[in-house]
This record gives sequence, structure tokens and C-alpha cells, in this order.
Amino acid sequence: MNSHDSLAVKAIIRRHKRWDVIFALLGLMALAVGILTLAALFVDMAVAGIPRLNADFFTSFPSRRSAQAGILSAWVGSILVMLVTAVVAVPVGIAGAVYLEEYARRNVLTSIIEINITNLAGVPSIIYGLLALGLFVYTFGLGQSILTAGLTLALLILPIVITTTRESLRAIPQYIREGAYACGASRWQVVRQHLLPYSTPGILTGVIIGLSRAIGETAPIITIGALTFIAFLPPMPFSGDPPAGLFEWLSSPFTVMPIQIFNWTSRPDPAFHQNAAAASFILVFMTLAMNGLAIWLRYRLRKNIKW
Amino acid sequence: MSDKHLSTQFDAELTNISTRVLEMGGLVEHQMAKSIAALAAFDAEQAAQVLREEERVNRMEMEIDRDLSAIIARRQPTARDLRLLIAVSRIIANLERVGDEAARIARVVQRLDAVGLHGRIRPPVSDLNFESELAVALLRKALDAFARLDPVQAVEVLKQDDEIDREFEGLMRKLITYMMEDPRTISTSIDLVFVAKAVERVGDHAKNLAEAIIYIVKGADVRHSPPQQIENAVK
Amino acid sequence: MPSTITLPEPPPVLKAQSNNLDFYYGSFKALKGISMPVYANRVTALIGPSGCGKSTFLRCFNRMHDLYPGHRYDGTISLFPDGVNILDKQVDPIEVRMRISMVFQKPNPFPKSIFENVAYGLRVRGESSRSFLEDKVEAALRGAALWGEVKDRLRDLAVNLSGGQQQRLCIARALATDPEIVLFDEPTSALDPIATGSIEELIGEIKHKVTVLIVTHNMQQAARVSDFTAYMYLGDLIEYGETKEIFMKPKRKETEDYITGRFG
Repeated sequence: MNSHDSLAVKAIIRRHKRWDVIFALLGLMALAVGILTLAALFVDMAVAGIPRLNADFFTSFPSRRSAQAGILSAWVGSILVMLVTAVVAVPVGIAGAVYLEEYARRNVLTSIIEINITNLAGVPSIIYGLLALGLFVYTFGLGQSILTAGLTLALLILPIVITTTRESLRAIPQYIREGAYACGASRWQVVRQHLLPYSTPGILTGVIIGLSRAIGETAPIITIGALTFIAFLPPMPFSGDPPAGLFEWLSSPFTVMPIQIFNWTSRPDPAFHQNAAAASFILVFMTLAMNGLAIWLRYRLRKNIKW
Repeated sequence: MSDKHLSTQFDAELTNISTRVLEMGGLVEHQMAKSIAALAAFDAEQAAQVLREEERVNRMEMEIDRDLSAIIARRQPTARDLRLLIAVSRIIANLERVGDEAARIARVVQRLDAVGLHGRIRPPVSDLNFESELAVALLRKALDAFARLDPVQAVEVLKQDDEIDREFEGLMRKLITYMMEDPRTISTSIDLVFVAKAVERVGDHAKNLAEAIIYIVKGADVRHSPPQQIENAVK
Repeated sequence: MPSTITLPEPPPVLKAQSNNLDFYYGSFKALKGISMPVYANRVTALIGPSGCGKSTFLRCFNRMHDLYPGHRYDGTISLFPDGVNILDKQVDPIEVRMRISMVFQKPNPFPKSIFENVAYGLRVRGESSRSFLEDKVEAALRGAALWGEVKDRLRDLAVNLSGGQQQRLCIARALATDPEIVLFDEPTSALDPIATGSIEELIGEIKHKVTVLIVTHNMQQAARVSDFTAYMYLGDLIEYGETKEIFMKPKRKETEDYITGRFG
């Protein structure tokens, strides 16, 4: 390679490096736009709402007087609804995913089921609310209760749970499955003793992501009739006399955080707007906390899974 | 399916070994012919040449051995290739001993020259010449069979060695007669016995070559086997 | 000093026999009429170029093909001493796999502890007695020449072991259930030469307790490790015989061409 060639090569390399830098800057700007917008909204909400945060805010029921209004019934309601959602969505979702991935034969019927599940993830949440209204509230007669809300949201996040579980199962290399089968394991043993434990990080992540979406869903909850002004708490789970008393809370009326926020925002008094900002801040914080939990759990559990 | 290895380098290495074996064979053949000619003509100078060349024979044996060890180490040969290399190791040992026989004959010539006995007795040189021509021709036939890896020709070599053995016995009887007739010829005659024995051994080495060829081609170890078994192995 | 006298081995006893075995992937005939013995307490190697069917044949022995749709067996593999045809539809593949275990090409320890890996085959059978499992695990790890290296860290994750150690762990896992045959599918192709050497040494030792059937694309490994060798090409069994005969004086020209490198 003579000196003329090496100069030409250097020029080409310089040109390519310039494109590297340009692309990196463009990417950074695009990212910045998204993050800065979110940050701006969050900061605006925090600035408006944080002064309002004190212990009373968390422990008070809503009130017509803004200074005394609190989110107690809202956040308790949210947590109880999330509980029902999780209890319903997780087993059904995992079982469905395991069936589709490990047991079902690859034929037209399976493909149709798979396509439908993926499509369900894109259905507007109000449709779920209408479905729930017709099916759970009226046909099954479950009423406008925590149980109904939980079932509705469970349906909503079911596609997420199923898809994430399937992806986690697919991530397990075939040679691990073969190794287990070669030891004389039956299909169920392989699923229970290997596939589910190894895909737990992925499944948990999917469940938490699903729940953090569900916690902010407003439209379906409104549709099934969550009340907006609740000045009482649902009975604590399992606190009544068995057997019926244990599940009294499920059929109780309730409200959730997004609805409380919506309610306060639609009032003319600016003091309630501040309450709404404070509650929004709490809701975003809860969502971020759940996502953070998902990331941490994923990290902790992933450490031991190596192929 | 071609007879060439996927590795042309390996092919070249094997061909190289075979070529050098033939080269060494030609050299020792020449040494034998020369030493017998030196004896017939009582030419001490020719004998000295033979002794000088002997060093080259030994060196060739060592070089070929070293190279075939390298091939075995690097190529892990199997089947036919492995048998070839094992057989070549045996062949060059036999060729080296043929070189030794030629050197032995050359030293007898020098000894006779030193003692100055040419002309005094009637050495049965023509018989010796005949025996040695048979032996050298047999060696050439064996080397030719190696070049072509021809087992049939190898079997012929095995049979023809008997002729040399018979010649040797005839020579022995003649020499004994000379010794009984004229005791002054005893020491020379004994030297000639050694020469005749050396030539007979060349025939044996040619036979070993032939056995090695049958091993390469057929995979059968026919050393110490009766003739019928050898014929069967080659069919 | 251990004695270096090698006693002659007793004559081989038949452990398994394949009879006219055809195998189809869908409509593709991958194995054509394979008839071959597998002798007890001997190492039998399957060699041949890529795509010749040696792995396909190996996997028939533990019914691995049953995990995937579209497979069809035609012919028998009989397992002795009872003579049952392990390819029979009436025979449960799980039963077969409990008698015949497998070591794979890529070391595949489960993401569990070393102890749980080795004990897995036993747990699958319902064994749960702590002391029983501990004894079996120790015996298996000793059999795989791994006990000394891991005895103080049985609770550690198996995936943290080196490649060679992982493969020996997989061998221990395969041995823990006292199988009759252990199948090896190119067990050292993912390992470095020293690890390869230790696995080959191990195979030479375990053959006294089990029968070994090994697929290898490394001919020298087959020559070093096996007592019997089978050469396969494009789904056919070309030649079968004692390893030293195959490598010194093969009967078929195709075999000789393959092992001398006259074709790939």
C-alpha cells in the first residue's frame, strides 16, 4: 500500500466517521425531545402538586372542601382492583401461553388463536368496558364492584401476559428442553420443573408491565360504573366472618386513582386542580415504582439463568 | 472417486517419500554392481569408491525415516497410507543393509588386494558374478514392483529368491572343493564365502521388500507365511 | 503403580440390534435399512460426512424424534436382554429414555445447582430421599471424574463451571440413573483439546459399566476411543467392523476414501 492509497483510505474513513457522529447526534435529539417533554410535564405536575402532599392527603376521604380532600379510598381501591386483576390474569395468561407454546399442534386453529390474541392487545380499552358491562355486570350479575373491575382489567392485560410468557418460553433454548426430556421427564415435568422457573423473570416483567398499564386505565372502569365520590373504604379483604364474609370486599363499590383525578380535574375550583396534580404525581410515582420493581426483579432473577 | 487426497500437500509428501525410496534403491543396486565388478577385476580403487558412497546410503535411510515420522505425526494416516509408511520404514532398513553388504564385499576386495593374491588361485568369480547378477536383478524387480505397487510381481520376487539360495549352495560346494584341493586357497576361499553369503542376503532383502509391497496393497502380513497362503492373499 | 498389563476382554455380548431401520422426516428418507449391532460394555462409534444420518440414527435410540412432528420409524431396534423393540408405538418413549440416556453436543447443564442437575433424572422418577440422592449424586460425579472438583460446592450454579466441567457434569447426570446405554452426540466438538482429552479418557472408563454409542465427526477421535466403528453415508450403513480393522484395512473403498481423506 503506497502513501497515495493510504491517504485515500484515510479520507474515506474520516467521511464515515463524520456520518457516525451525525447519526449519533440525530438519535440523541430524537431521544431528548421525548424525554424532555415527559420531564416537563412531570415537573409541572410535581411543582403544582407536591406542596399539597402531606400525611392527611393519603389518609383522608374525598370531600367537598378541597383542603380536606384526600385519596384514601382511591389508592386503596386501586390496590384492591390490581390484586384481583393479578390473581385472574396471571394463572389464565400463563396457562394459555404454556398451552399454545408447548402443547398445541401447529395447525390453522392455533394460528387463528395466536392472531386473535395479538389483535386483542390493540383493542381500545373502552370496548373492554362495554363488554364487561354487558357480561359481568348484567349477565353474570356481579354488580359494579371490585370483582368486575378486576375481571375487566384482567381481560385487558391478558394479551400482554400471554405474549410475554410465550416470548419467555421461546427464549429457552431447545437443547435445555431436550436435556430434560432425555432424563426421562414427561412434558408436564419439563414445563413445571424447567420452563416455568426459567421464564419467571420474563413472566414477572410482563405481569408488572401489564399491571402498570392497568392501574392507569380509566375508561373501562368508568363504563362499568365505578363511583367517583366514595367516602368509605371497601371492607378489608378476608376480614369478615367466613365463608361469605371473606369475600365481601369483592362485591363492594369502589373508586380508583384515575377516576379520582378525573373527578377533581373537572371541578372549577383551582384548589381541586392542585389536588389532582398531587394525585397524578402519586399515580405516576406508583407506575414508575412498579416498573422499577419489574426491572429490579428481572435483574435479580436473571442472574441465575444462564445458558 | 479420485485417488488423490483432499490435501495436495499430503499427496506431495507421500510421493516424495516413494521417490526417495526408489532413489535409495537405485543407489544400493549400483553399489552392489560396483563392488562385485571390483572383486572380479581386483580393483581396490573401485572398492574404495563404494566405501565412500556407503555414507550417503546411511544418510538417506535416516532422512527418509525422519520425514516419514513427521508425516505420521502430522497427518495421522490411516489404512493404505499408514501401511505404506510402515512398509517404507521396513524397506529402507532392508535397503540400508544391502548397502552394508556391498560395503562388506568392497572390504574383502581391499583385503585381497593387500594380501596380493590376484592371479594365484582360480576364484570362482564367474559363478559369483552369476549369483550377484541374479541378486541385483531381483532387487531391481522388487524396486520396480514397489514403484508400481504390483503385488503379483512381488509374489514372483518371492519365488525367485529360491533360485539365489540354490546358487549360493552350489557356490559353497565349489568353494569347499577348492579348499580341500589346495589348502593355500583356504583364506581367500573363506573371504569368497563371505561375499557369496552377502549376495545371498541381498536376495533375502529383496524378498523382504516384496513382502512389504504385499502388505501395502493387500494389508496382509505375509512374513513367515507358506507360499500357498501368500498366493491366496494376493488374489 | 497401576498395573500396565491389559487383560484380554471377554467376547462381546449383544446389547442392542437395529434391524432394517428406515427413518423418515416427513417424506424425506433419512435412514435406509440400517442393520447394525451394538455390543455391551463396548464403545461403538458412528462416523461419516455431514448429513450422512449418524445423528439421526443415534437419536432413534432414545426416541428423541418423538418430540417433533412428522417422524416415522420403519424397522426395529431391539434392546437386550429382554429383546423389546424400543421403536414400537406401544413402548413409552419415557421408559426408553430411562434406560438409555444422552449427552449432547453443546454442554447443556440446567440453570440449577450442580447437585440438582445430577439428581434430576432421579427426581423425575420420584426419588426424594435426601441420603439416597446424595449417595447417587456422589457416585455419579465420581464416575464422571468431577467429584474432587465440585464436592465442596454442590449448591453452586452448574452454569458457572468451565466448558469441560459442564460436559462432565452432563455425563454425571446421564450416569446417575444407572442407564444401560449412554448416547454421545459429538460430545467434544464444543470443547478445547485438553477438555476433549479428559472426556475421551472418561468414555474409556465408563464403558466398563455402560454401553456407549458415540457420534463423532472427528475420525481420529473415533479411532482413539471406540472398539467398533460404523461408517455411514447419505443414510446408508456402508461398513461396520472392529475399529482397528476399519482404520488399518477397511473392506470398502468408500470407507477407505473417507478415512484417508480422499474425500470430505
